[in-house]
Amino acid sequence: MNTLIALLLAFPLVFVISLLFDGIDRKLHARMQRRIGPPIIQPLYDFIKLFSKERIVPTTASSRIFTVSPIFAAVASIMGTSILLANLMLRENTGGDLIVVLYLLAMSSVLVMVGGSSSGNPYGAIGFSRKMSMLIAYEVPLLLSILSVSLKINSLSYYDIISVQIAAKSMLALTFPSMAVAATAFLICIPATADAVPFDVSEAKTEIVHGPLVEYGGPFLALFKLAKSASNLALTLLATTLFFYLPAVFRVYALPGLSDLLICLVFALIFWFLTITVPRTIFARLKVGQAFKFYWLVALPLSVTAVLLSVLGL
Amino acid sequence: MVDKHDEVKKIEVDYTRLRIPFGPVHPALKEPVLLRVTVRREEVLDVDVVLGHVHRGIEVLAENRNLVQTLYLVERVCGICSHSHTTCYVQALEEIGGIQPPERALYLRTLIFELERIHSHLFLLGVMAHEIGFDTLFMFTWYVREKILDLFEKVTGNRVHHAMNTLGGVRWDLNQHMVDDIRATMKDLQKSVHRIYNFFQDKTVEKRLCDVGVLSKDDAERLCVVGPTARGSGVDMDVRRDHPYAAYTYLKDYFSVAVREKGDVYARTEVRLLELFESISLIQKVLEELPNGPIRVEDNVIRLMRRIPEGEVISLVEAPRGELLYFVKTDGKEGLRRLKIRTPTIPNVLTLKPMLVGCEIADIPVVVASIDPCMACANRLIVVDATTDSKKIVDMDFLRRRRQA
Amino acid sequence: MGIRLVASSRVKSPWLFHLNTGSCAGCDIEIVAALTPRYDVERLGCVLVGSPRHADVLLVTGPVTRQMLPRFIRVYGQVPEPKVVVAVGTCASSGGPFMGSQMVEGSVDKIVPVDVYVVGCPPRPEAIVKGIVTAVKRKFG
Repeated sequence: MNTLIALLLAFPLVFVISLLFDGIDRKLHARMQRRIGPPIIQPLYDFIKLFSKERIVPTTASSRIFTVSPIFAAVASIMGTSILLANLMLRENTGGDLIVVLYLLAMSSVLVMVGGSSSGNPYGAIGFSRKMSMLIAYEVPLLLSILSVSLKINSLSYYDIISVQIAAKSMLALTFPSMAVAATAFLICIPATADAVPFDVSEAKTEIVHGPLVEYGGPFLALFKLAKSASNLALTLLATTLFFYLPAVFRVYALPGLSDLLICLVFALIFWFLTITVPRTIFARLKVGQAFKFYWLVALPLSVTAVLLSVLGL
Repeated sequence: MVDKHDEVKKIEVDYTRLRIPFGPVHPALKEPVLLRVTVRREEVLDVDVVLGHVHRGIEVLAENRNLVQTLYLVERVCGICSHSHTTCYVQALEEIGGIQPPERALYLRTLIFELERIHSHLFLLGVMAHEIGFDTLFMFTWYVREKILDLFEKVTGNRVHHAMNTLGGVRWDLNQHMVDDIRATMKDLQKSVHRIYNFFQDKTVEKRLCDVGVLSKDDAERLCVVGPTARGSGVDMDVRRDHPYAAYTYLKDYFSVAVREKGDVYARTEVRLLELFESISLIQKVLEELPNGPIRVEDNVIRLMRRIPEGEVISLVEAPRGELLYFVKTDGKEGLRRLKIRTPTIPNVLTLKPMLVGCEIADIPVVVASIDPCMACANRLIVVDATTDSKKIVDMDFLRRRRQA
Repeated sequence: MGIRLVASSRVKSPWLFHLNTGSCAGCDIEIVAALTPRYDVERLGCVLVGSPRHADVLLVTGPVTRQMLPRFIRVYGQVPEPKVVVAVGTCASSGGPFMGSQMVEGSVDKIVPVDVYVVGCPPRPEAIVKGIVTAVKRKFG
């Protein structure tokens, strides 16, 4: 019962927080470019405006997949993030474990791809093939780094990993070398999952006209953007809580109320800034082949090392 | 946006080739051009360039207007290199009418010419950065460019389409304020261009620009490319040095022509960056050597126009994109018999085919931006006589015979 | 209250699509200059999008040439309602110096209904921004 209430509470919370973090990201990106930038609640205005537009389905699209993919993508992303938030709110393992969360996040990425290719536009097809290459590139290191954490803690449940950090009163990444390597691999994979420059090949505006999103307008686009923001929030939250659970050090977890949740969210914002906003501002976009090579030559060995080290007990 | 027109994407027999229309409406292109690109997965196999979307019939309109009206029409062939077009046209008319503009006018023309070269190259560098997704550099380059547009506004009154030239001279003069402003801006610009040069040597930028869109020297000479596109492939040609005009006859020793051998996108970009430095020092020299005197031969332009007899002349200038050629034939009655404009983009756009074959889709906007296409300039007609099916094309001999100093 | 919220969101987040129907590129560079740090149209919520399906405001430049006419009509159809058309520049408003040419249709309002004309050759970025804001406020506000 508690689970259900927590999940229902978490749904609107995810909506608000992910749009707010997206707005802060745009504002900081503009400030770094010496501009003023939009107000922080701009993504909320964008969302409402997009919902009020006309619903167009192109004649060349397979209309059922076209209309259904955005809805499922948004729901999957929000559910994945809500499970994480519910766990943090109730301070116990509820809803689902890490496998469920990662599955939901991957599902939302795949649905963007599928929706894009179902639009019947050649740019959508190119975006589909590029996103497929990127999925192969970044999903493996991502999953391997989570695997190394589970091997260390001997559990796949989300809150178990946090409890271990609370019991040890220290952050996982700072205590064990295998966890530090896993954290690095995980953080490197975030820009690709978030479709941020330098790894945003699948949604390049100047090359393939937004890739899979080219024929989507109005409410569909709003749902896809919400799915993207929610999945970014989930990943940054995972990065903070799995590897750098700060309240463990401050012993705030014992206080009533949700102050540890707030600290985690603030740190998720900081990680969002470091892994999504900063690369977006200071790098150019890489080509598919180059991005693929980067992940297979840098992130994959790191994550494999993390698994090996955690098996060896380090 | 994606134009399917009458041909929807043609999937060829082997089902791996895809024919995509790139343009005419595309976020990478500021101006309409249609590139029918045949790709296999990410590799480009063939490119077909279709021009003509910006064809407004300027040469036809020019035949029905008098010489001064055509001056303002010809300025609007292109917004980025508008001063080059007016200079070329006015030079041709002055040649026919035997009008010699005063020296101060020639120096002022050169000043605006070089300022325009700086603004056009900064424009292109920003667009190039935007194509590779590096928005921060785009914002920075255009922020620097705004200072040049401020100078244009101070001197001529408009940021774009300066209308500085007139028959027999220029329209606006410099006062001491403006000279000081220009000097101060050039000093700031030197530092900013150094920073931009460093940005372009960043690792991710290098990965996108190096070894992409290579044009060999043989291809460049065979296709008669001009401008920085040619200089990036090792062809050493520059109208300012080879056929000097305006004040370049006096400034020949004060600038050097940048040439690079490699022929890829990075070489062309580097040529433009080096030309920026040259332009800055040229402007500083022009300000030092600016002679005193009147800025035009006569205030009443209509009287001058009436003095221009029948005649034909070919005039050459070095626009920011390359060699610009005008063939002007007047009829002695204040009008034009024929105006033929050959802009630098026309030969340069033909290089897209050898450059793009073998590249990836991601390279298409980068390569197209590297030849600095000005599509508005590049839409001219070839007159085909339907009865005899003959095309009249001007060749090198004709040009050599007709070029008058 | 719901209607007021929707109207205010439409005014605060106009997404722009820039369409060049044969202009000399003077107006186009001023439109792109409106994004740069000096004028920064993004603080008003405007974003230059790549696909007409994402756009609210269609910024049209250039006298409509014959070759661009069918594409222009097609792009206009692809922009979802409610939409706003802003004709930027003298050429788009009246044909400019190319009036009378057989290759050119003339002003944009012969083809699609126009909400705001921003005149100038080219208009300054501030004028373009004011044109966008006026159009959006009048149509959606």
